[in-house]
Amino acid sequence: MIQKGRTILLVEDNDDDVELTRRAFSRGNLINELIVVRDGQEALDYLFATGAYADRDAASLPHVVLLDLNLPKINGLEVLRRIRSDETTKRLPVVVLTTSKEEKDIFGSYDLGANSYVRKPVDFSQFTESVQQLGLYWLVLNEQASPSGWTS
Amino acid sequence: MSSRVLIVDDSLTVRMDLAESFNAAGLETVICASAAEARKALAEDRFALMILDILLPDADGIEFLEKIRATRAADDMAVMLLSTESEVRDRVRGLTTGADEFIGKPYDTTYLVARARELLRGQHMTVAAVEATILVIDDSPTFREGLKEALEQASYRVFTAITGEEGLRVAAEVRPDAVIVDGVLPGIDGPTVIRRIRLDAALRGLPCLLLTASDDDGAELHALDAGADAFVRKGEDIAIVLARLAAMLRSAGAQTGDRSTASLQAPKKVLTVDDSETYLQELAGALRSDGYEVVLARCGEEALELLAVQPVDCILLDVMMPGIGGQETCRRVKSVPTMRDIPVIMLTALEDREAMIQGLGAGADDYIAKSSDFEVLRARVLAQIRRKQFEDENRLIREKLLRRELEAMEARAARELAEARAALVGELEQKNKELEAFSYSVSHDLRAPLRSIDGFSQALLEDHAGALDPTGQNYLRRVRTAAQRMGELIDDLLQLSRVGRATLQRAHIDLSALGRTVATALQRISPRETVRVSIADGLVAEGDAGLLRVVLENILGNAWKFTTNTIDAAIELGVAAKDDSLVYFVRDNGAGFDMTYADKLFVPFQRLHTEAEFPGTGIGLATVQRIIERHGGRVWAEGEVGKGAVFYWTLSGGSVGVAI
Repeated sequence: MIQKGRTILLVEDNDDDVELTRRAFSRGNLINELIVVRDGQEALDYLFATGAYADRDAASLPHVVLLDLNLPKINGLEVLRRIRSDETTKRLPVVVLTTSKEEKDIFGSYDLGANSYVRKPVDFSQFTESVQQLGLYWLVLNEQASPSGWTS
Repeated sequence: MSSRVLIVDDSLTVRMDLAESFNAAGLETVICASAAEARKALAEDRFALMILDILLPDADGIEFLEKIRATRAADDMAVMLLSTESEVRDRVRGLTTGADEFIGKPYDTTYLVARARELLRGQHMTVAAVEATILVIDDSPTFREGLKEALEQASYRVFTAITGEEGLRVAAEVRPDAVIVDGVLPGIDGPTVIRRIRLDAALRGLPCLLLTASDDDGAELHALDAGADAFVRKGEDIAIVLARLAAMLRSAGAQTGDRSTASLQAPKKVLTVDDSETYLQELAGALRSDGYEVVLARCGEEALELLAVQPVDCILLDVMMPGIGGQETCRRVKSVPTMRDIPVIMLTALEDREAMIQGLGAGADDYIAKSSDFEVLRARVLAQIRRKQFEDENRLIREKLLRRELEAMEARAARELAEARAALVGELEQKNKELEAFSYSVSHDLRAPLRSIDGFSQALLEDHAGALDPTGQNYLRRVRTAAQRMGELIDDLLQLSRVGRATLQRAHIDLSALGRTVATALQRISPRETVRVSIADGLVAEGDAGLLRVVLENILGNAWKFTTNTIDAAIELGVAAKDDSLVYFVRDNGAGFDMTYADKLFVPFQRLHTEAEFPGTGIGLATVQRIIERHGGRVWAEGEVGKGAVFYWTLSGGSVGVAI
């Protein structure tokens, strides 16, 4: 079950949510590397190896992106749009993980090509369960359209 | 449509005279000597106007007219009755039978033709004026005929008059497109004619060309002073007159007079009322010579009878008469709204101060002693008619101004209303946007800290339980419960606010299927082993699928919740007859409620149970009510403590659907 080396990119500005997500993964025995970026710009820099991540190997992409929508600098929907419009990242699995249940966010995400939309529940037990299921599905069960150069 | 005139009279003289006059006025005529001939003519052709003598050798004219009107064969034809009988009774009989005008013999040809033209104009059947119509007023036969010939060669249509007075009458009748008038005339002179035209509301826009004497140095000044549009010296070539005329017509353009305004110079009808036949005939003669149509009545009663069917322009009323007398007649005329504007001149037999005061007291506009010269009387009549004319014009102008002001006010009010509405809509949209932004922020920013509170409380319980005694652990659990409850509250509040704002998307809904889906979801979320859920088949509704789902989630959810402690719990969704109409219902045999509080069920945050008994936020039924109201329906409940509750609702003002 444990898939080592498969990285997860978490785009989240809230420290508590980062900590809770990390905890949920560890309790679900998902010990994959969790890379955390704090805003939309940083997320794009990481993915396209620009700015602070210029040294990173652009060909090495995370296995799944967990994307919050309410982000500083560049918001989540815009990040998603840029991911989908770039040739190297257009098939990258993106799961929107957010607090919002607003229709415009749900429809907007799917319209832009989100693979999944998960709402963060208040109840931590439920949250843990959601995150674990997510990890299980995207890191273990789901077959990727992995281009050459993806780490696996 | 023909504009021909049918003349029916047994007198050859009358036939010839009328035919000649009408032909001269440019109207085609057909003449008949008897009713039989007239009937034949009417059967073969259509006429715009019929001049009908009352005394025909083979019929009574009025009876003949009655038959014609009854067949409706020529109901758009105007009819003028002619009669030597000046009995008011005949006049009234004729006018009520369907005649448009009644003219006594001896008639004034000019007046008759003028009235005929007015009637034809009323029918919108004026002789088609292809070319401009010019009126020439000149007393010199040579010059008049010469100019007429030249104008006709230039394809104008020409009317002529010898005196200024005649010219004004013709102008009022034919409404020419321009007038050429000689400066020097036997009666009123050319400048006076132009001045009178300018004073007449119906004619004042008429272009006027003044012919001045060759040796008049101040010709231009005089012409302009009178209000002429152009002037030409009589010594000059006739071609110059034509050129000036053409220029004048061009610049006059579309400025034709208001055709709906009656002209001051148009034919006027005077009603004279006197019991003395001699005086009546004398008076009628004097007035006819001024071109008035004179109607005679021998007493006040006759006068009133006549006025009821035919309006006149002026009334001359003898004070001393048998019957109701002059003063009473005057009082009655002045008390009828449609008649009270007609000028009344009282005729007194003597220079009687008393009679004069009484006459004026009865509402007369003027009085005159019978002994006075007819010249004075004619002048008084003209003065009264003119006064009435000006009053009418003033009233028309006032009405027009008032109407315009009213329209402007209405337009302003409408504009202000539209602006106010636009401002309100804008404000509302702004408020809606703010509200949306607010709820969005609530849904995000209020929930995030709650997640932290709950998450880290649980982390403490899981990872650091050893550092806490059982009481501490209990407290932390309470913190988690509170955080989770607040999360539910926020979710419910957001839903309530969304329900109020969302646009309704009506569709055909299978309510039975929706009910089953909701029941299945309830079973999944809070599984129960013993609950009988029965959902009627074929329930349909017109409404918003998403919102109706919220309704069922809440109502079925409540039933599910309040039957938790019930043995043999049963929940039913169906339709029932209630107050003669069908309503949807959800019935359960759960905890029920006290009907005393029935009206509090739908108030937000109002709960009838403690959180420990049955958890809840108290927002669900408020949301249900808002959704039902937005669907134009009604929701209410019945219940009894310990026996269960029934929730009823309708949609779209009461139409409930069950598929057959």
